Amino acid sequence: MNRLGLTDWNGPVMRRRLARRYAAERRFRLLGLGAVLLSAAFLAFLLVSMIGQGATGFLRTEVRVTLDFKAAPLLIDRAALAGRGADLALANAGIPAHLNAAATTAYGGEGAGYLSENSWLDVRDAVRDDPALLDGKASFWVAAATAIDLAAKGHGTAEAKAAYAKLKQAGAVRKTFNAGFLTRSNSNDPTRAGIWGAFKGSLLTMIVTLLLAFPIGVLSAVYLEEYAPRNRMTDLIEVSINNLAAVPSIIFGLLGLAVFLNTWQLPRSAALVGGLTLALMTMPVIVIAARNAIKSVPPSIRDAALGVGASPVQVVFHHVLPLALPGILTGTIIGMARALGETAPLLMIGMRAFIATPPDGFTDPATVLPVQIFLWSDEVSRGFVEKTSAAIVVLLAFLLAMNGLAIYLRNRFERRW
Amino acid sequence: MIEDHSVKSDRPAKMSARNVNVFYGQKQAISGVSIDVDMDNVVAFIGPSGCGKSTFLRTLNRMNDTIAGARVEGQITLDGTDIYNPDMDVVQLRARVGMVFQKPNPFPKSIYENVAYGPRIHGLVDGKADLDAVVEQSLRRAGLWDEVKDRLHESGTALSGGQQQRLCIARAIAVDPEVILMDEPCSALDPIATAKIEELIHELRGRYAIVIVTHNMQQAARVSQHTAFFHLGQLVEYGVTSEIFTNPREVRTKDYITGRYG
Repeated sequence: MNRLGLTDWNGPVMRRRLARRYAAERRFRLLGLGAVLLSAAFLAFLLVSMIGQGATGFLRTEVRVTLDFKAAPLLIDRAALAGRGADLALANAGIPAHLNAAATTAYGGEGAGYLSENSWLDVRDAVRDDPALLDGKASFWVAAATAIDLAAKGHGTAEAKAAYAKLKQAGAVRKTFNAGFLTRSNSNDPTRAGIWGAFKGSLLTMIVTLLLAFPIGVLSAVYLEEYAPRNRMTDLIEVSINNLAAVPSIIFGLLGLAVFLNTWQLPRSAALVGGLTLALMTMPVIVIAARNAIKSVPPSIRDAALGVGASPVQVVFHHVLPLALPGILTGTIIGMARALGETAPLLMIGMRAFIATPPDGFTDPATVLPVQIFLWSDEVSRGFVEKTSAAIVVLLAFLLAMNGLAIYLRNRFERRW
Repeated sequence: MIEDHSVKSDRPAKMSARNVNVFYGQKQAISGVSIDVDMDNVVAFIGPSGCGKSTFLRTLNRMNDTIAGARVEGQITLDGTDIYNPDMDVVQLRARVGMVFQKPNPFPKSIYENVAYGPRIHGLVDGKADLDAVVEQSLRRAGLWDEVKDRLHESGTALSGGQQQRLCIARAIAVDPEVILMDEPCSALDPIATAKIEELIHELRGRYAIVIVTHNMQQAARVSQHTAFFHLGQLVEYGVTSEIFTNPREVRTKDYITGRYG
């Protein structure tokens, strides 16, 4: 039957078809919008909960204690305060006993318990910076015990909350910005723990990773795309690189342990080894991204350059790479962000050690932000909970800064044709 | 009607091909082509799609080298030197035998940088003033100077299609080539831009040996003095343009130019 010419474009059948098509379009658009909103909601939830919990980690509670050094002088040789032995001299001067006595006098029998175990270190630092304090009566704001700290932030036991209320009434407690959190390293005592050591460790590790993975990855991609003959060997290499990008990271950690630590005898827990291990992991990602970016450079640009007599190396470095750079940088961001958040392989090479001083170089023992977060989340003390969240906030800030830099670079190099 | 503008060149042929075969893997794309190109006559390659005219053009500056599996047999000489001999430097060859492509393909850089790129990489200039002069001269020869002299540092890709193509011609001229190969240079352009390019080809004739591949037979008639008709990888007929178009020797040529196929 020939139906051509008999189509009723305005009939009810057509109108139903049309309505169905519009409905399908609308459904699809709503579905897409829903997916975007859902991911935005997850992101917002993550950020709000992390910042909500982490914000208090950047604050610390201090209790005021007044020490009368005239009435009860420290047993210390004043001359020792000038030299490098000052810390040692002060450590032996019996400050904790003075503090506990003063707190008990001021706040009753429980008074000593309001202070952090390490609160004497605040007094030590103050006295070292200004020995004149030893001549008379002086007030010090020292770290509160974890229980008081938690009570100040709305958690903790009823007992601690009552103690906090009492201190507050007396005006003997305050909350301040915890600068030490950003300048100190790990500690057993949550009031003394800081993120700087792990931050610096992450920074050093990322530098090693970037310096190794970026040039080697990009040059491999250039070779594979522009120079390598198409044969079985290059196919094999391509498959291997794709597989390497999918290998679980802990296996790279084992490789690092076996090769860098056991065979090469590089120092354990060092940023250098961490960087090497993560570079192994990041390189395939960069190679794949760079190859795709290089592939997407229009062949006409290569023809144009070859046509005026550019050598293959000139074609690559004058034309192909500059045009592929935005894509390469995008891949590098993804790879580096993954490396920054990586924990498992670093555990294998000993970067989970307790490290109380920030690393001074690539071969010093170090830890990194995600490992620090992992370690703190494992701590028994309640005070580490908010430290963990605060460390996550720092890690996210690091990640944002890194990505921001890469996006800025990408936009600078982006060219249209 | 078509007039015979061809010149009996007393200079020796700039490029000659003798018995050239080109293979892509197993497939033979060109068989037994022999042709001479001189400085005084523009040569047009015509023929239906897939007849091998572009392939043959690209053997003249060894652009086929970049295609995996491409193989060239026979002899092609530039000033008597075999360009496929192992001593020939292919990079220098491509400077001496410049190329303009089907789609205008300026670099995504400024107009100035587009033209300056070639002289710079070949070390043809001493200093900025010299380079400026080369850029100006090249743009003048390509008939683009007056249109772009005030915006040399704007992007070359922002020009119109016809201007981009003339920029590409200026870029080729800037390295001081002896031969210019043009692969359907007007196929992406409107008639006015096409007319400008054709005018330009007239002006460049005599200074450079020019070979142009075209789909457009009127264009071949307008710009060339010699025409080569390719069909199925073979050179069917090669002669003075006016004769090819008015009095072809081969039936296939006649059928093609009268529009029986193509």
